[in-house]
Amino acid sequence: MTGSRAATAFPPPGPGRVVRGVLLVVLVATSLGPLVLLAIWSISGRWLYPSLLPTEYSAASWRALGTESLGPALVTSGALAVVAGLVGCMLALPLGRALARLRGWRRHVGAVAAFLPVAAPPLALGTGLQVVLLSVGLGGTATGVLLAHLVPAVGYLSLFFLGTFTLFDARVEAEARTLGATPWQMWRHVLLPMLRGPIAEAVALGFLISWGQFALTLVVGGGAVRALPLEVFSLVRAGQDRAAAVGALLLVVPPVVGLAALRWAARRTTVAPA
Amino acid sequence: MRTPPAESDGDVPALELRALRAAFVNGPGLTDVSLRVGSGERVAIVGPSGVGKTTLLRAVAGLAPLDDGHVLVSGHDVTALPPERRGVVYLHQTPVLFPHLSVGENVAFPLRVRGQRGDAVRQRVGEALAAVRLDGLEARAAHALSGGQRHRVALARAIAARPAVLLLDEPLSALDPALRADVGAAITAAQAAYGPAMLLVSHDLDDVGALADRVAVLLDGGVAQCVTPDVLFARPATLAVARFLGIYQELVGHVREDGAIVCALGVIDVARERRGAAPTASRVTLGFRAGSLRLSAAEARPDGARARVAGIRDRPRGSTFVLRLEDGAAESLVEAAIAGQSVTCAVGDEVVVTLDPHDVMVYPS
Repeated sequence: MTGSRAATAFPPPGPGRVVRGVLLVVLVATSLGPLVLLAIWSISGRWLYPSLLPTEYSAASWRALGTESLGPALVTSGALAVVAGLVGCMLALPLGRALARLRGWRRHVGAVAAFLPVAAPPLALGTGLQVVLLSVGLGGTATGVLLAHLVPAVGYLSLFFLGTFTLFDARVEAEARTLGATPWQMWRHVLLPMLRGPIAEAVALGFLISWGQFALTLVVGGGAVRALPLEVFSLVRAGQDRAAAVGALLLVVPPVVGLAALRWAARRTTVAPA
Repeated sequence: MRTPPAESDGDVPALELRALRAAFVNGPGLTDVSLRVGSGERVAIVGPSGVGKTTLLRAVAGLAPLDDGHVLVSGHDVTALPPERRGVVYLHQTPVLFPHLSVGENVAFPLRVRGQRGDAVRQRVGEALAAVRLDGLEARAAHALSGGQRHRVALARAIAARPAVLLLDEPLSALDPALRADVGAAITAAQAAYGPAMLLVSHDLDDVGALADRVAVLLDGGVAQCVTPDVLFARPATLAVARFLGIYQELVGHVREDGAIVCALGVIDVARERRGAAPTASRVTLGFRAGSLRLSAAEARPDGARARVAGIRDRPRGSTFVLRLEDGAAESLVEAAIAGQSVTCAVGDEVVVTLDPHDVMVYPS
């Protein structure tokens, strides 16, 4: 951040400032508006046209969380996302390091291979994966869904760590080894502590990739694995708007918390190595 | 001189390189490097850029692959061992400290990865830091150090590991003059702490003179000469070494039947050991320093080789005369440094030049 003098000098006053102001209001309204509506909807008891706000409020939808399908779906999604985040990170860390060490066309091929499952529509990915997972008897199981979630997660996180290791000073590894560290000790005492920040971010990203999956869970899980997005979708289709609003709000919590944490961490991060 | 003898006869050298070969992408690579470094000895590797000095050092440390040859540390063949099991520590040109560890933890790192704990570690860390005059800085964060301190912490960490061999890649080249003296003293102190063999790479011949017991000149993939700095500068073994040192001038001549050499400076009676095995009538190249030429007034020495003063360069350490020599149709320019000689002449004057045969090296052309 620059000083307050720079902040008052730019942007210069004029009609451009008004346009920018309006755009900002539109951005905030479109991103926060639906969330606010969801929040109100989830606690409304009676809300009929033309009332601007509910005429009655009720916590019934939230209380139902413990008894109805949303609660178990929340647990399923949470467990899937935590495992996908942790396992995805563990696999992507060495993969990203290996990619960063490749040169020339090998590096391009590796990066494309990692990017493909990220870029491919989840429905297409799921259709392909389903054939494989069914053939090994994992169709319709939580394990199968987890493996399916890991495919885009590992791809995305490998690219993430490719970036990390491209900027990482490779001499650090040589230094640790020549000072007597075995490869395992180098990971344990040097790489992992130095990469604590990126690893935490990667676990969070892996969590979010799994958390938001709809198509992959639906196709591979065959409806038998009831994760939160599937449950919310069924509630919307069944017209249970208040329960759907509760579920949708729950879906939004991790990304919002994650974003806030990332912003907070970014402010505290010093990029320069010692 | 491919395999110079170890300094300490009879003892097993701390480091022995046998016919190392390593190809690299740009350039011919290392074709045949053999070298012995005694315990407590400091040997510097010099050579032109791109000859493979750093590659050699990294290969010795196990950080770069070798195509052939053997690396022996204290008599044990470590060629097939990983870096951590070689008894060798490699220091990067700019220090690489672990940013998540304090100074003390950095220095303790090589001890901790070897499973040592407790007071013994603390004591060894204290000693290592004291050896580089950084006592009491254990708790300081690695990123809060000055440039010179970082170099010294990296050195302390290396000597805490007590390797038989320390490898230093251009230890002084990235430093300003004040820090060079500082880090140079730290290197000497570090070695005095427990006497490892040191193999260091440098492109600066001044550093080498100050730091090294012996200098190995790496040329064309192998060690062209490995001797003390004094001997290296006085008697470069080959024309290529003399050219690399950059302090020798060259004149072409030929060997007369009695062994004397005839060139534009007249007949030079070079001692047999400096003449090498150049056969009679063969063309040779004479290498000599600017300080080896004596000038006198033309009328005083009617028999000497004549030259015309083409230019005078005043330098802090005395003047240098650029002389034009005529040898039949051919013309050549040489420089004469005249510190300690009382000569008065101006550009265009004719002078008589004589070459001290004791300072001349003769190489086959």
